[in-house]
Amino acid sequence: MPPVSPGLRWTALCVIACAAMGGAIAVFAQPSSTAPLTDIKGLYDASCASCHGVDGRGSGPASVALAPAPRDFTRGIYKFRSTASGSLPADEDLYRAIARGLPGTSMLAWKGILTDAQIRGLAAYVKQFSPRFATETPTQLTASQPIPPTPESLDKGKAAYESLACGACHGDAGTGEGAITSSLQDDWGHQIHAATLTEPWTFRGGGTATDIYRRLRTGINGTPMPAFADTAKDQDLWHVANYIASLGRKPVWKMDAAQVKALYEQRDQAAAANPVARGRVLSETLGCAHCHSPVDAQDRVLPGMKFAGGLKMRLVVWGDFVTANLTSDNETGLGRASDDDLTRAITHGIKRDGSRMLPFPMGWPGYAHLTPADLNAVIAFLRTIPPVKNQIPPPARPAFFAYLSAKFQMLIGGTDFPIVVFAGNAGSAGADAPGAARPAQQ
Amino acid sequence: MKRFLKWTLAVVVVLAAVGFVAFLYFIPPLTQMAPEEFIQQAGAMPPAATNISDPAERAIAERGRYLVLTADCGGCHTTQGAQGPEPAYYLAGGMTFATNTHGTVVSRNLTPDPETGTGSKSPDDVKRVLRSGVFPDGRGAPPLAMPWPGTSNWSDEDLHAVVTYLRSLKPIHHAIPAPKAGRGDAIVPGAAEVAYSLDAGKK
Repeated sequence: MPPVSPGLRWTALCVIACAAMGGAIAVFAQPSSTAPLTDIKGLYDASCASCHGVDGRGSGPASVALAPAPRDFTRGIYKFRSTASGSLPADEDLYRAIARGLPGTSMLAWKGILTDAQIRGLAAYVKQFSPRFATETPTQLTASQPIPPTPESLDKGKAAYESLACGACHGDAGTGEGAITSSLQDDWGHQIHAATLTEPWTFRGGGTATDIYRRLRTGINGTPMPAFADTAKDQDLWHVANYIASLGRKPVWKMDAAQVKALYEQRDQAAAANPVARGRVLSETLGCAHCHSPVDAQDRVLPGMKFAGGLKMRLVVWGDFVTANLTSDNETGLGRASDDDLTRAITHGIKRDGSRMLPFPMGWPGYAHLTPADLNAVIAFLRTIPPVKNQIPPPARPAFFAYLSAKFQMLIGGTDFPIVVFAGNAGSAGADAPGAARPAQQ
Repeated sequence: MKRFLKWTLAVVVVLAAVGFVAFLYFIPPLTQMAPEEFIQQAGAMPPAATNISDPAERAIAERGRYLVLTADCGGCHTTQGAQGPEPAYYLAGGMTFATNTHGTVVSRNLTPDPETGTGSKSPDDVKRVLRSGVFPDGRGAPPLAMPWPGTSNWSDEDLHAVVTYLRSLKPIHHAIPAPKAGRGDAIVPGAAEVAYSLDAGKK
């Protein structure tokens, strides 16, 4: 190597350093815009698969608690389209769902997080999960001119809302009250509920009259929501869309204090009137099934074992604990527990045999602050969980020396006690029980 | 005499060893408080949203407080000290979770501190984590450690209440380390997750 002057060497070093930093910034600042589109599968697996599954079946690790359930791409049935009932979605519909998300659901708006090219790449990628896209083409519907929401149009819309029997599922006032909401299912057997028409910010395809008109014409594939493009007069659909748009109430973030109070009181009344529905929501948001279901090594709940307990946790000093079976099975679940038993366990951490639970991971000190109505709702919901037989072993103390060594560590090392959560089912569910193919390790 | 001393010493040493083992064995691994005390402690940690002057916003924040308290967000997001959760660091984060699926993650600082908490994030950024488990940079939150599939069932209005309450908290400076790829150094065979309560943050 020929001798170089120190100045030149420094300059060269600076150039290299700057280039390296520039490269690093380019890589770290905007990883999404520079990622090659050829790796769209990698992007799908990283961003979409935790809900939709690597195989596109809508059963990723997070899917079990999500309502509505994530889309199963393999059947090519899409809910929010601009195309005729039963038809495939247009590319633009898929783009729109990914870019703008589906309000009121866990499907977020990816625009701003992913680039346009990536979103289009994903839209193309999900199509290949279903063979339908190879053989069929979407039938686009064209919209007529909007009709302005005059009082006359709203009156006609209300009349058409009644004659088309919208209230059967959505309720006469659009709130779901008095409707058959609790028995609705989609084509996958998931329990679903009709949209609450007074909350337009939760409309998946948008809350404007134009969006609603489109939904009325296309229907929602895979659900009981029919398409009215061929069965109702086009004008009437605009009137109904105007009427539904007029039902929208203010969201809580736009209310004044009196309105907020009235809303919360009304909520409490609705919850008291239907404790099971309220309890279902609470059980999901409190995350009961989160620990009270066994999972595999990918954090997926073992099929059919939601709420059946059996997740083993090792609290290093205290020993091994297996989460309780919350299903209503008489022998192994809560079937024979009284309401008082459940209240004591949920709010005071006291089991039926009188023994106490630790204040974590079961967060009973927090659950103790549930209102009586909410607590009753949770219990009412737990009673509705169909029985699954899964005998849960009693807690096991750690071995003598492990116990002493953990105590010694506790004495000198502060509070760092790992809680180990084991994949698999530590309950008894036999070879015929769902999910029993993966035995608990350790 | 020498012999007597030797024996005394031996007995003392043996007794001390047995005593130490017994001490280790019998000291309670957890301060044994009555359930009511734990309940009182849990209820006392989240402050009331009295610093919000607008009555509508305060009512919404109080609803958010109820949701945050009963969903036990503090169980993982409150900094742990030698005697359990530190009330002065309520929701300031710092617990470590070594997961099978998402590397080693540390519970985030949920207080609105602009540097180390959620202060520089938009309400939508926080809602997106609770609803969809996706951080502002597109990274996913681990669904076992952070039960976002559960919180995704909060309605938009309840999510708004939760975020309103979190914004009303006093900002606490507590820097949380970034997640690390890989399963973590101490994951146990067969484990899906290992949670460490020792504070990994920097006060």
